[in-house]
Amino acid sequence: MDDLLEAPTNTFIRIAEVWVPEGDRLVLATGTYDGLEGFGAASARATFAKGEGLPGKAWAEARPIVLRTLDDSTFHRAKAAAASGLTAAVAIPVFAEDVLLAILVVLFADAAHVGAIEVWEDSANSLVLSDGYYGTAEEFERVSKATTFGHGQGLPGGVWASETPILMRDLGASYGFLRSESAGKAGLKTGLGLPIPTPGDKIYVLTLLSAPGTPIAHRFEIWDARAERVGPEKKALRIDGLCEREGFLAPKENPPLDALSVTAWQGPIGRVLGSGLPHVQVGGAGLPAGYTQMVALPIHHENGLAYVVAWYL
Amino acid sequence: MSWIDVGALDEIPLRGARVVKTRSGCVAIFRTAEDELFATSNTCAHKGGPLAEGMVHGRNITCPLHNWVYSLETGEAQGADNGRIPTYPVKTEGGRILLDGDAVAARAA
Amino acid sequence: MQKLVVIGAGMASGRMLEHLLDAAPDAFEVTLFNAEPRGNYNRIMLSPVLSGEKTFEEIVTHDDVWYAANSVITRFGESVTAIDTARKIVRSEKGETPYDKLVIATGSAPFIIPLPGHNLPGVVAYRDLEDTNAMIEASARPGAHAVIIGGGLLGLEAAAGLRLRGMEVTVLHISGHLMERQLDETAGYLLQKDLEKRGIRVITRANTKSIEGSGKVERVLLDDGTELKADIVCMAAGIRPAVALGHAAGLDMGRAIKVDAQMRTSDPDIFAVGECVEFAGNLFGLVAPLYDQAKVLAKTLLDEDDTFVVRELSTKLKVTGCDLFSAGDFAEGPTREDIVFRDPARGIYKRLVIEEDRLIGAVMYGDTADSNWFFGLIKDGTDVEEMRETLIFGPAFQGGGGAAADPLAAVAALPADAEICGCNGVCKGDILKAVEGGAHSLETVRAQTKASASCGTCAGLVEQVLAVSLGDSFEMPTAKPICACCDLTHEDVRVLIKTKELKSQPAVWQELGWKTPNGCHVCRPAVNFYLLADWPLEYRDDPQSRLVNERNHANIQKDGTYSVMPRMWGGMTTPDELIAIAEAARKYDAAVKVTGGQRIDLLGIKKEDLPAIWADLNDAGMVSGHAYTKGLRTVKTCVGSDWCRFGTQDSTGLGIKLEKRLWGSWTPHKVKLGVSGCPRNCAEATCKDVGIICVDSGYQVGVAGAAGMDVKETERLVDVASEEEAIEWTVAFVQLYREHAKYLDRPYKWVAKVGLDWVKDVLADESRRKSLVERFDLSQTVYQKDPWAERAAPAEARKFQPLADFTQEAAE
Repeated sequence: MDDLLEAPTNTFIRIAEVWVPEGDRLVLATGTYDGLEGFGAASARATFAKGEGLPGKAWAEARPIVLRTLDDSTFHRAKAAAASGLTAAVAIPVFAEDVLLAILVVLFADAAHVGAIEVWEDSANSLVLSDGYYGTAEEFERVSKATTFGHGQGLPGGVWASETPILMRDLGASYGFLRSESAGKAGLKTGLGLPIPTPGDKIYVLTLLSAPGTPIAHRFEIWDARAERVGPEKKALRIDGLCEREGFLAPKENPPLDALSVTAWQGPIGRVLGSGLPHVQVGGAGLPAGYTQMVALPIHHENGLAYVVAWYL
Repeated sequence: MSWIDVGALDEIPLRGARVVKTRSGCVAIFRTAEDELFATSNTCAHKGGPLAEGMVHGRNITCPLHNWVYSLETGEAQGADNGRIPTYPVKTEGGRILLDGDAVAARAA
Repeated sequence: MQKLVVIGAGMASGRMLEHLLDAAPDAFEVTLFNAEPRGNYNRIMLSPVLSGEKTFEEIVTHDDVWYAANSVITRFGESVTAIDTARKIVRSEKGETPYDKLVIATGSAPFIIPLPGHNLPGVVAYRDLEDTNAMIEASARPGAHAVIIGGGLLGLEAAAGLRLRGMEVTVLHISGHLMERQLDETAGYLLQKDLEKRGIRVITRANTKSIEGSGKVERVLLDDGTELKADIVCMAAGIRPAVALGHAAGLDMGRAIKVDAQMRTSDPDIFAVGECVEFAGNLFGLVAPLYDQAKVLAKTLLDEDDTFVVRELSTKLKVTGCDLFSAGDFAEGPTREDIVFRDPARGIYKRLVIEEDRLIGAVMYGDTADSNWFFGLIKDGTDVEEMRETLIFGPAFQGGGGAAADPLAAVAALPADAEICGCNGVCKGDILKAVEGGAHSLETVRAQTKASASCGTCAGLVEQVLAVSLGDSFEMPTAKPICACCDLTHEDVRVLIKTKELKSQPAVWQELGWKTPNGCHVCRPAVNFYLLADWPLEYRDDPQSRLVNERNHANIQKDGTYSVMPRMWGGMTTPDELIAIAEAARKYDAAVKVTGGQRIDLLGIKKEDLPAIWADLNDAGMVSGHAYTKGLRTVKTCVGSDWCRFGTQDSTGLGIKLEKRLWGSWTPHKVKLGVSGCPRNCAEATCKDVGIICVDSGYQVGVAGAAGMDVKETERLVDVASEEEAIEWTVAFVQLYREHAKYLDRPYKWVAKVGLDWVKDVLADESRRKSLVERFDLSQTVYQKDPWAERAAPAEARKFQPLADFTQEAAE
């Protein structure tokens, strides 16, 4: 593990952006560009109406959207993307009941990376793949397209049934019987599944599947912010986490009295708690030792902010 | 106290009751939904209804004859009715029901 | 340096070594034996490993590096076979090891139920990494089935983990609700609902008969004939302390190795810690007390003073997304008070148990935010008298006024497609649309959607939907709730039981926001009836929710004796029956009375004699007359065309047919029928709940008569030509009454509420009439059984005797 950290591997995700509604258009709130400031400049100049471009499409259709190539007509910043070597993108809408709070856009570079981002939706009482980006994990992509998950089954079905983000280790050995073999072969090891609530009746589950060589992130965290769990004060407990440096980040006691907690506006996670918006950050205060970037995504239920999921690079 | 084994816990259904006949009158043993045991006189203070035939709800018993409700803990009649029935110490040990024979005898004396 | 030998590298001995080596790294030379081929790991975290949410590496507490750094000599994978206390050595596979001090930490072994087939490959326990890996391996096959025996903490965690791995999972649990040692009925119900949402099948009251398969496990059979496919069977039925070594060494034993408060066994140089010890009559299964023991034992070994005390425990199920908490004691002991809070919309249930102004127990489901605070109050024995009123709302409300439970919560929780008006098929969403369109009163909603326009039973619910959507601007008429336990009327509860498909008492209490743990003598019999009438196959009649007469199947009299009345079909009897009745009356010293319902009542029977007199009457071919039930009582007849010169039809024969069809069914209140052979009406049919008058052209079916507190003539329901039709209409009417009436409303009261026209409309629709008859007959397959025969059997008869009888014993 140490070797791996000494020679920082290229990560799958290169850029993360937060778009927020201002009047009837989406404008860029923050972005992390990690050397691809050219694209950042293009983004700063852009705004999108509902239905326009990738962020606008995610808003209009009220669902997560994956673009497998960026020369798609949907993607307005294609030139800048090509210049920066970006090849694919995903847009995740953040709704609080009917209200759009933000769109998180994540862009990927270099299709040679192994890793997958998938969107699952419900159909006839099971979850089917609606969209996905798989890098070079083609066999795994083929298997995924032919797979459905029932309530509680596998990572997507587990997220669906429990309405909770779930972090799975060692997908090759554990990712449900249907895909474990091909996940193992593709080198996919860690899986993060998140419910993506939208105003309609449709269920969406987003999964990020990461391989050690080209990880989606080096650290994942799940924070529970539901009032049913933490009480009326705005705060969150870290209920699970995995870090290549620190290892296991989840509470060890049962009941989990030792769970780490943060309150609103305390550090980057606290900032998400306070604002209810996604947060992306490069450098600066509050990042765990050894990390330079983070993306944190809030998940809102009908009773308010429920979870914050964060990944660090 | 003199604990007397009066039978197996299983013999009384949850939210049910059974009677123990003693020389100083019938004692009703109640078992609540939460598996607590109570013992009281079996005789309603109103018109002598057999309380073990009543309905157990929460920690109360309703008399089968005219719906007087008693607290099983204190023996006090609830609501508008005034009256009290004797209560006796009872406990379980290893699935057996033990009733305090001294208390039953003393109350009758 | 003293030699310390430790047998068992589990969580308790691991924690003990940490304390010991921290405090005095050089006090002992430590040798650690472990039967498992590895060191100490966090065993309670095996569940997330099973589900794939953790890896084994993440739950290792002490790795090789730690043991080496602390100079612990490890003997892993090597079982200790004996302790020689005289020579102070332990014997193992590789020879003898001497000790100065010995710690037994052998933990516990899973309890394997000795069912036929328990030795088959594929039957595993759930205790260590090997078991976990066996289950992971089994889950790797597409379509594989798992059966978990035991719905306690471990069993449910295994079920959730295997489901997450994609298996088809069934949990078999012997008791009435899941985790009955930690949860009450309602929390168990919510947990089951939560697990079922994950695709896990849960069968409670399941008696496993055998495990079968050729060469490996293939299926599990239950007593009731259910057969379940199984590629793996996990026995999670509990644990037993692993104490063979201590026993063989001659240590003082109870159910486990007895220790004092310093963790010392009966041998001064041998100590025990963890699940293999018994202290002051207690065994230990949860981790918190083991850690306390570990701390005490470390001190004892270093000759320092410390004392182990048994503390309150709390439980948390490790299933992602299941929030439940249980602590303290909500089971035994007198002088207690409950505080219950339910939020059906959010699936929240909280119950606190208070005794002498102290919180002694808490159960929470769905909202565990304040669990630590409550647990603290329990542990500290804090006086809660001052905050009792707002206690359940948690620390944030103390000093602030608590929010009251919302009486509209049950209706607010209904989804848009929930049917509110069954007569006209109107859903909640339709009503909401009408409200948005400007309909702001019951009348306008009724005019626009037809909701409550037919029988009107749902009017209260429609008003609640209006109140939920209009808020304060809608003034709710004050409807009378069933009792103080809830905010809903009988009609509301009936409709909601159907709409929300509530099939058990805990489901009703929770989903409809009951304020008491399990109702009272007013609401519980009503709810019991509604459930059995609507779900004859799913719900089982609960005798403890019936008043005395229906529970004992006899009428209690003012002196506590009972009356017994055999059925006389259509009022017909025989000399042999009369002789049997006369003999029974003499044998049990009964008063004999001929009743108005054309049968014979035997009065003054003692409770303990009931099973015997029933058996006698059964032997003569008679069954219970149900003279005590809210159900069919009698069908009074005249002699009809067989004998009477005026008779137009066989009224006696029709009466007997009706009685044989209807007997045994439970109804909202008692039901009495009459069949008269001609309009002279000798059977007084025109004041019955259903009264049939035979005429030349056929049968006049009248309903809703009364001759009790009120006297009322029947109203004509229909005229039919054939006997079959008369029976069909009668059965359909009774079933409609069973499905719609308020508990304790006789038919005439119910018909007055819903209107005879509505009843006629429903029954005139042939397909509805026939399906009512079908549902009635389905219910009869369950309930048309002679209660006497069931209770005259020895095991049941015993329940009618006193539990104990000390009146014959000599005084002390």
